[in-house]
Formats: sequence, C-alpha cells, structure tokens
Amino acid sequence: MQLFYAPEGRLRLTLEDRSHLDVVPAWAAPRTHPDRYLSLLDSKGKEILMLDRLEDAGADNVEVLRQELRRRYLYSQVRRVNAVRMEFGATYWSVETDRGHRDFVTQSLQENAQWIDEEFLLLIDVEGNHYQVKPVSALDPESLRRLRSVV
Amino acid sequence: MQTASLTPGGASAPEIPLIDVTSDLDEDGLYGVRRLVVTATEVTVSTPTGVPTCRIALSDIAKARHDPLVSGGRMIVTLKNGVIIPVVNYSLAVSEKFSEVARGIEQLSQGEELSIDMHEELKRCPKCDRLLPEKDGPCPVCVNRSKTLWRIFGFLKPYSRATTMLVAGSVCTTALNLIPPYIQKQLVDGFTEKTLGTNGLLQWMALWLGIALAGSGLQIFNGRLMTYLATHISKDLRASTYRAIEYLSMKYFDRKPVGAIASRVTQDTDRVWHFLVDGFPFFITNSLMALGVIGFLFSIDAVLAAAILVPIPFILLISVRYWKPISNMFFKVSQRMARLHMQLNESLSGIRVVKAFVSEDREFKRFDERNKAWQQAAMQADQKWYTAFGMMTFAASLGALINWTVGGMFVLQGRLTLGEFIMVNSLLIMVYGPMQWFAQVNNWFSRAMAGAERIFEVMDMTPESNRELERTLDIRGDVTFDAVRFGYDKSNPVLKNMSFDVKAGEMIGFVGRSGAGKSSTINLICRFYEPDGGRILVDGVPLNEINIANYRSQIGIVLQEPFLFNGTIAENIAYGKPDASLEEIMVAARAANAHDFIVSKPDGYDSIVGERGVQLSGGEKQRISIARAILHNPRILILDEATSSVDVETERQIQEAIGRLVEGRTTFAIAHRLSTLRNADRLIVLERGEIVEMGTHEELMKRRGVFCNLVETQRAVTEIIGVGN
Repeated sequence: MQLFYAPEGRLRLTLEDRSHLDVVPAWAAPRTHPDRYLSLLDSKGKEILMLDRLEDAGADNVEVLRQELRRRYLYSQVRRVNAVRMEFGATYWSVETDRGHRDFVTQSLQENAQWIDEEFLLLIDVEGNHYQVKPVSALDPESLRRLRSVV
Repeated sequence: MQTASLTPGGASAPEIPLIDVTSDLDEDGLYGVRRLVVTATEVTVSTPTGVPTCRIALSDIAKARHDPLVSGGRMIVTLKNGVIIPVVNYSLAVSEKFSEVARGIEQLSQGEELSIDMHEELKRCPKCDRLLPEKDGPCPVCVNRSKTLWRIFGFLKPYSRATTMLVAGSVCTTALNLIPPYIQKQLVDGFTEKTLGTNGLLQWMALWLGIALAGSGLQIFNGRLMTYLATHISKDLRASTYRAIEYLSMKYFDRKPVGAIASRVTQDTDRVWHFLVDGFPFFITNSLMALGVIGFLFSIDAVLAAAILVPIPFILLISVRYWKPISNMFFKVSQRMARLHMQLNESLSGIRVVKAFVSEDREFKRFDERNKAWQQAAMQADQKWYTAFGMMTFAASLGALINWTVGGMFVLQGRLTLGEFIMVNSLLIMVYGPMQWFAQVNNWFSRAMAGAERIFEVMDMTPESNRELERTLDIRGDVTFDAVRFGYDKSNPVLKNMSFDVKAGEMIGFVGRSGAGKSSTINLICRFYEPDGGRILVDGVPLNEINIANYRSQIGIVLQEPFLFNGTIAENIAYGKPDASLEEIMVAARAANAHDFIVSKPDGYDSIVGERGVQLSGGEKQRISIARAILHNPRILILDEATSSVDVETERQIQEAIGRLVEGRTTFAIAHRLSTLRNADRLIVLERGEIVEMGTHEELMKRRGVFCNLVETQRAVTEIIGVGN
C-alpha cells in the first residue's frame, strides 16, 4: 500500500490495483487504545482496511499518516496548568498545550472532566473541544496541585 | 440577529470586507489567530501581522465547505479547475461561524446575494473579561447582582403584607430577647444589695413570664408565617419556571438532558426560596441583634465589651478560611452520591441483562467502588467540618473565658455589679451563637444567585416564536416547501434546499435511509423547529405568520413510539380534546379499531395506563394513539412509522384504522416498510437531505431508480428471512 497527497491536500491510498482519493484515517478507540487500531476510510465512510498499529502502514507511509492524523484530531495535550479557578459552577482554565497557550471554560466538571484511567484525564470545554492530560503524573507539582484542587 | 446582505461587485468597492472573521488555529494546528477576509473579489487569510497565508480569487471558486474534524474543523475550497485547497483551520469554538462563512463564500462566488447569519457572538464577559460558559450567555461572576436580587424580591410582592409582618415579628423577637438578661441583672443586683423584697421579685417574675409568653406566641406566629411564605413562594417559582420551559423551542430540549431541565424546576427554585425565606430573614434579624447587643454591651462597659469581642474576628477568619474547601468537599459528596444513584438506576433497570450475562458480581463491584467513593468523600467532608466547627466553638468559648476573667476582675474591683456581669454573660451567647453561621450567609447568597440566574435565564429565553401572533387560519391543507434548509446545528445541514408542493387531502409518503431527513421534514411541518433558510407555506401563507398554537391545534401526530400519559384510556384518547364526551371517544376508538380490546379490559375505558397502569401491547398503544388523532380531527396528519413490530392481524387492523384516519386530510407518512406506503398518493424519496425522486409508487417502480432499488433490497431481505423461518 502507498499513502500520499495527490493532488495536494488530498490523501490518496493506492492498494494493489485500486486507488482511493480523500482517505480518512480514524482511530477505532482513541481513548482506551490511543495508539492502536487505525481504520482507513474511503470518501464515503467505508472502511478500506484497518491497521493494528500505525507502524504497520510501512515506514514510507507513517509520516504521511501522522501528518493527516494531527490535522484531523485537533485534541490538545495539556503540558502545564497555569491557573484554575472554580466560580459559581463554572471552571476557568489557563493552560499550556502542545498546540500552544489556551484559556477555556468547563461546566459541570462531573461530566466534563473524565478519568479515562488513573493517568489519563480528559477535559471537555463548553464548546466540546477536548484537552487531554496524559500522563497526569508527568505534570509539574504546581500544575498537579492546581488540577487536584478541582478534580 | 444581524444579517449581512450585500451584492457582490455592484455598489460596494472591491476592497471593502464583506466578511471578516478570525479563527483560532494556524496552518500547523497550533493555537493562533488567523484572519479571514472576503471582499467582493477575493478571499484572503492572513496572520495577525498581516502576512497572507492564502489568497483565492472569488471568480475561481466553485465550492466552499466546512470539513468537520475531531474537536474542530477546516474550511475547504474547491476551485473551478478541480483543485481543492484547505483555507483555514479552527477549533469547535468557532466552527459554526466558519460553516456560515463557507456558505457565504459560495453565495458570493456564484454571484448570489450574500445572506448568512454573521452575528458576532460574545465569548468573553465585556465587564470582567472572563470566558463565558455559554456564548452570549450571562457571566456567572458579573451578573447584575442587585438587579437579580430585586427580581428575586419581586416574588415576594404578592405577599408584601405577610413579608412586612414577618420582618416586624422578627425585630420584635429580637427586642424581646434582650429583656430577660436585663431582668436577670435587676434580680441579681437586688439579691446582692438586699434591696429586693418578695413582692419585687414576684413583679419581675411576672414580667419575665409575660415576655416568655409573648416571645413564644410571636415565635409560633413567625414560624407559621414563614411556612406560609416559603410554600407559596416556592410554588410560584416552580410554576413560573415550568411555564417558561414549556414554551421553549425544541432546540432547547435537544441540547439539555431532561434531568438538567427538571433540576431547574426543582433544585434551582429551592435554592432561591431558601434564601428568601431562611437566609434573608436570618441575616437581617441576626445582624440587627448583633448590632443591638454590641451597642448594649458598650453602653455597660466599653473596655469589657471590647475585650470580650476580641475572638469574633478569629471566628470570621476561620469560617472564611474553611468555607471554600468545605463547600467544595460537600459538592464532591453530592457528585459521588449522584454517581451512585446513576449506577443503581442503570443496573436495576437493566437487571434482566445483568442476570442474563451473569454479571451480578461485576455490577456489585462497580456499585461497591462508587459506594466506597461516596463514603470516603462524605467522611472527609464531615471530618473537616467538625474540625472547623471545633475551632469556632473554642473561639466562642474564649469569649466566655475573657468575660469571666476581665468581668470577674471588674466585679472584684467594684467597677461592675454582679447583676451587670450576669447580664453581659447572657448577652454574650446571643452574639456568639449566630456568629458561627454568618460566613454561610455569603454562601447562601451565592447559591441563591446562581440558582436565580439559571431560572431567570430560562424565563428570559425567547420562547417559540409566533405564540403572540394574532393571525389564525382555518387550514385547508395545502403545504408548500420553498427551498427549505435546516440543520440541528448550523454547521451540519440535514435538509438542503428542499422544495415540494402538496395539495389538500393528499397523502405523501417519505422514503429514504435513516438519516436521510425524513424525521426532520416532519419536525419542520410540526414547527418544532424553524428552518434556517427558505419558507414553508400552508394554504399559501408563510408558517411564521400564523399563531403557532392555532396552527398546531390543527395538526395530528401518530408517533413511532406512542406516548401515553398516566391516566385512563379515555383520558389518553381525549388528550387533544379534553372536553370530549365518552360517546365521541368511543366513536374515535371504533374508527381506530381499538374499541373491542378496550372494552374487554376489566375497567374498559377507565383502565389506567402508563407507568402504574395496565400493560398495553405495542399494537394497542398505536391504536389508542390513532384514536387520539381521529378525535383531535386535524387538517394535517403526521404518521411516523405507525406500523412496526406487530403481527399480521394487528397490522391489518391498524392499516384499516389509518385508512379511515387519513381520509380527507393532508397526510405525511414515514414508514420503513415500503409496502405500507402503497396507499400514498405520492412518494418523496430523500437522500442526504435532498429530494432525489418524487411520484406515485408505480411511477417510481417504473423509473427503476433509487426507490425501486430500495424496494428490491427490502424484498430480498424479507425473502431471506422467510427462507430462514
């Protein structure tokens, strides 16, 4: 199989004698199995094939896939918590992420701060954007203390 | 709502921005600002410093669309030469806006008039710059406290006499409470100075008895008055909140889970009336009392008064310091409790599955985990509370210690009489008692404000439009869709440019795969939602000009899963016409082929249905629902898959009932089983929100298109199932 952008900006998958345009990579279980089971869908949403691991795509294709995934999954990883304040049911966050600085609000933390496992905390802001804290213990002590004060 | 409306080229100069928006992600998916400007000639995306990252001439653009990604999206433009260009990335925060922009670009590139909703939503509070939990919503921190407070007090207005009496009563109670310490002083001084005779003693005691009687009487009166106020105000609050919610549009109900809406009616109103009836009078009377007592103390001996009040700042400090963490902890307790309830609810309602999969142990483990979590949280919270409470008690007892030390010394020096000392001691308790609760007043206040905000937010929300409209219409039944566009959220249209004409009395069947837009079309006909674009006309009159209640009263619905309210069968049939006589109800039930099974129930038409009532089969419920529609006698009828999962004989009966029901009415029907639509005058075949075929059953079969394909697939499936049997 071969994955490449042709024409520019459109992911193409050539598999044996068939070529699919506008291929969409989609994680099957992004929360519980974050780096496994990647499904490649055609432009109509039908699965072409599933990769057990990203690396199974072959060295040439992995970079293209990574690029497409990063563009498609606009989650961000929280690296530092600058400030957290809980007021009147709303929680105001100021964080540094792998995509840069971000301020956001979450409401009813009971539903919107989800512990996927001991080390993986998912925050969902009022607009539905996802912020992942993973692994939680990798945060610096100050960030951790701020985080623990609300969740 | 502000709608941009400008013709491209025409009068506007090419450099004037027609659309000007900012996104929050850069080309590499990092957080950053990109500005997208559309003029009459081109689309430009640039960095904050003005460096363009993308520039496309409008005349080259064939299509522009919002491409939904995970947790965000991007805008993609297809050029006329087929090249596809990603224009700009954005997070979910602004994707709705950019999906409108994409539509706008497409309109402009095709030389159409620009008509998109470019209302700029408020994301931060203009006052304190905090992010808003809901765009354009109230800022929970800066809500106009005094305005909200006045509005809350507005609920006291119908009870102004009772309220005045309550306040007056509380002030009197306070004043009365100050007298017994004074009597004690007189008595003790009388004893020590031997100036008091038996007569004098008895006189003082008579006064004390009188005060005790008056005080208790006043307390009973106040208590009863307070209960009167509390129940009335909570009733009023619940009623107005429920009324406001009832009139909200369906979009609101789609967004919020039923539990969250219900909690506004019960919990939020609770917070408000608690504050009005408990918190507020508590605050007023105790502040008065504290001030009165402190003044009194100073009038007796300023030095002693100052000395015994020393611990008060410490009490306030402790309560302020501990309040926040403790209330957070109690919040956590209630969260954990809710989680346990959820788990309990789930596993009990799914007990059949639990047993079938022998997963009792696993369910118990999950239950036990949450149970323990609740216990842990409750224990920590209560332990912390007792620690804080103990510290406050200690500080309060310091007051007594100081009084005995300093006051005792003053008595020894003869600066204070023993009576005065005893009086000070009694007054002391009156200050220190309520002091421990003062820090809570702020909390009561905040909670009440938060609750009030949520209630008022619902009350202030625009109700379904057209409730106020005067225009009524006796519907004949012509229905027209004119280029109707609709989506539950705007970035994702479900119906695109849908147009059709229906004559009065016609029966139309909607056909298509799930998600094709059948239910959405029906929802629009019922006016549960407003179209985002285009018009719906009934008898040539635009729907948004007719009074909504008047319109809906002429529409009947037989739903996929008929909803029966708790009550008798007769009441359920007469839901749309509560004053119907039993004769009318029976006529309708006969026409719906429901009469026979109803009378064979022990209680006949008086059988209770719903949660506590008799069990009805799916087919029985459907026929009751059909009878309800027949009695309602609508001009426009909606049938949502009225026959599903019933046996052949029941289906025949239902079909017969429907045949009677649709006669002479404009009918829109959805059915997954295509054979049941054979009676329809015309079929409309939908695919991805667009009409792909329209015509009679025979016509469509002859065309051998999408419909024919669907029919044949279904037939094949039925045959396979038949062979399997």
